Amino acid sequence: MQREAWAVLLILLLAGGAVYAHATTTTEEFSRYNVGWNGTSNLAAEEVRDLGNLPPGATLLILAPDVAFTADETGYLRAFLESGGHLLIADEEGSANRLLADLGSAIRVRPGNLASLERDHADPGLFTGYPVGNATIFAGVETVLLNRPAAVTGGEPLLETSILTWDDADGDGRPGGSETFARRTVCAREGNLTVLGDASLFVNAMLAENPKFIENIRPVLIDAAHSRTGTTNPIINAIARARETPAAAAALAALAVLPVAWRFGRKRDD
Amino acid sequence: MNRLASHATLAAAAALVLLLLGAQAASPLLYTAENTSTGAHADPATIQKRSPGDADALVPLMDDLLGQTGTLALTIKLKDYESAERDLARYSELSRQFDRLVVTLDVSGTDIGEFQRNNRQNLDALATLLNDSRRFEELQRLEIEVLDGEQRMAIAYEGEALRQKMREGFSAYAGREPATTRIAGRYDLNTTPYQQSVEHFAEVADAADDRTGGGTTVKSPLGIAVTPAEGRYGDTLRIAGRYAGGIPDTRIEVYVDSRVAGAATLDADGTYNHPYRIGRIAAGPHLAYATAGRIYSEVATFEVLTQNTTLTLALAEVNRTAVACTGNLTTGDGLPVAGAPVLIRLDDGTLAAAETDENGTYGTVLVLPGGEHALQAEFHAAGYPLNASESPAETVQVRGEGLSPLPFVAAIAAALGTGWYLRRRRPEEEPVAAAAPVPESPREAPPAVEIAGLPPREAATVLFRALRDRLGIPGTKTPRDCALLFPAHAGFFERYERIRYAGETPTDDELRAMEAEARGGGEGAA
Repeated sequence: MQREAWAVLLILLLAGGAVYAHATTTTEEFSRYNVGWNGTSNLAAEEVRDLGNLPPGATLLILAPDVAFTADETGYLRAFLESGGHLLIADEEGSANRLLADLGSAIRVRPGNLASLERDHADPGLFTGYPVGNATIFAGVETVLLNRPAAVTGGEPLLETSILTWDDADGDGRPGGSETFARRTVCAREGNLTVLGDASLFVNAMLAENPKFIENIRPVLIDAAHSRTGTTNPIINAIARARETPAAAAALAALAVLPVAWRFGRKRDD
Repeated sequence: MNRLASHATLAAAAALVLLLLGAQAASPLLYTAENTSTGAHADPATIQKRSPGDADALVPLMDDLLGQTGTLALTIKLKDYESAERDLARYSELSRQFDRLVVTLDVSGTDIGEFQRNNRQNLDALATLLNDSRRFEELQRLEIEVLDGEQRMAIAYEGEALRQKMREGFSAYAGREPATTRIAGRYDLNTTPYQQSVEHFAEVADAADDRTGGGTTVKSPLGIAVTPAEGRYGDTLRIAGRYAGGIPDTRIEVYVDSRVAGAATLDADGTYNHPYRIGRIAAGPHLAYATAGRIYSEVATFEVLTQNTTLTLALAEVNRTAVACTGNLTTGDGLPVAGAPVLIRLDDGTLAAAETDENGTYGTVLVLPGGEHALQAEFHAAGYPLNASESPAETVQVRGEGLSPLPFVAAIAAALGTGWYLRRRRPEEEPVAAAAPVPESPREAPPAVEIAGLPPREAATVLFRALRDRLGIPGTKTPRDCALLFPAHAGFFERYERIRYAGETPTDDELRAMEAEARGGGEGAA
């Protein structure tokens, strides 16, 4: 009987661990709480929610933005850029274009379905990009593995595809018909503002593919208020709130201790 | 812990874990990691790697090809035929590399494919120009050396044929320049050598025209005509004529584009007839002439028209890993295309080659990994007066290598072993399972127990056995087991345990009470 009790306890612990892991993570794209291949849990970056207190000279990464920036926030970002801060916007859906316009930038993200022959993966959207110029973020980087990027227009090109790249409009993975080969820019800059048309470079599965590039952008702050990196779920929110509130943390600890204390107390009574 | 509670807890934990797994069932990550992707990105670790296929060599190769045209045309113009041969060999080799690359990279449907087709025609045109220029030089020399009137006339005819051919060749070569230059401009290629090659070609053709010798106005005794004047793949044209003054059975050689196309024999009435079947020959205008010994005919022209093709593909399973690919290549008129190369493209871009037989049927067997595959057959029509075609894509499910029997054998062995183990343990465990439902049977008659005259400890043993038998407890059970199984008789069994193992001696009263309980009359006392 004793052995059976231990077995049950062990299984309960395992089941509890599985429930905890399940409840405290998410499968949302780009989420910092997504430990899967398409999350950003492994990207070493400090989360920032208030853009009004950005340290001058820092690098701020806005990754896959999906929440609009207010006029005040745009002003903070403009001031941050003017004070020498570096702003890196990684977007492949064109959601950043409004912010770019508000910042007075001519750079725009052009969503599409770029594919290239210069690749070593079967997926035509996984292909090689080539740094041009002498930007710090691509220092020492010869090639970059791109992951279904979007083209970027305007600004000074920093990263280009090979000329054997086409917009695979019909999605058949083969060039043909009205699809023509052309070199595309996927990263460009204007002063301290850099726009990268491939947010996927920062997901967990891609970090090891471009290690030098990732190293070059560190240390980096990451916007968690307007970006899909901040995507959570109610349980994660509750746990985060509990961690931030000492009283709530104490109450949770008590909830965990009470059943044990009750059990041992009952044993003594018996 | 209560047995029922522990089972319920385990069942609840198992259900919870299954629920969590079920929530992820739609995601293949739990059981396979292949081609994992979303709309925004793909997981590179799960995407099949492939050879880059020398894609980075494609554009430089195009540049080299354009450069080669300039060099080759210049050496032909300068009549440096030795160097021209070397340049042509180099140009041919580069063109072959380029053709392979275009097929491997699957870009025949793009402007690079158009560039490839133009380049192939340019290569043919320059190779022909080299041969014709050299032959033209030779004819000019012969024209000076040969004094015989008939021979001079034959030389003049051939010279005229060559001039006509060179003019048409230049026309076609120059006609490709705008498209080729436009495509080259898109890839930042240096078009200067190519444009110079057009100029050199023009100069060579003009020079041939300038050297028009006498005698071409003299009508040849060897007549020639091609009927009909145009045809398509598979059609048979009639190349025929009359040889005025020719001796019957004279061998007449027929040339198409300066290459021997066949031979005919002069009839008794002085005519010859050679059927020419249009096969692998480029679309466009062509020249034909005939020779009878040293007598040359005039030059006749005919045109080969292009035609659409139809390609089919059928898949059939050969075994678990092999798939038979068969199909037919026919012209728009349903005529089979014989000896034509057919490529079968797999879903990952890999190509397999096959060739049609005289019925236009091709067939090959491909060994594929397990899973679903999409295959498509392609005909690129290089050198044929036919348009390229593709079969509809077909899918096939390949079962793959069979599962190893080892895990199943191991599982069966494990199951047998478990069964054997449980069977061996059953005598001890059985009452545990049967504890609750084994009722006492008060209606049964009390067993006969006779302890009179026995020593007290032996009498106690007899009574223990009697009670055990009455309750249906197996003889392998110890008194403690019996007490656990039948708590209502725990006092009896515990007392007997002390008698049996602690060496205690029961009193007469105890024996009487035990006897009553063993007989079934002392339930209340127990």
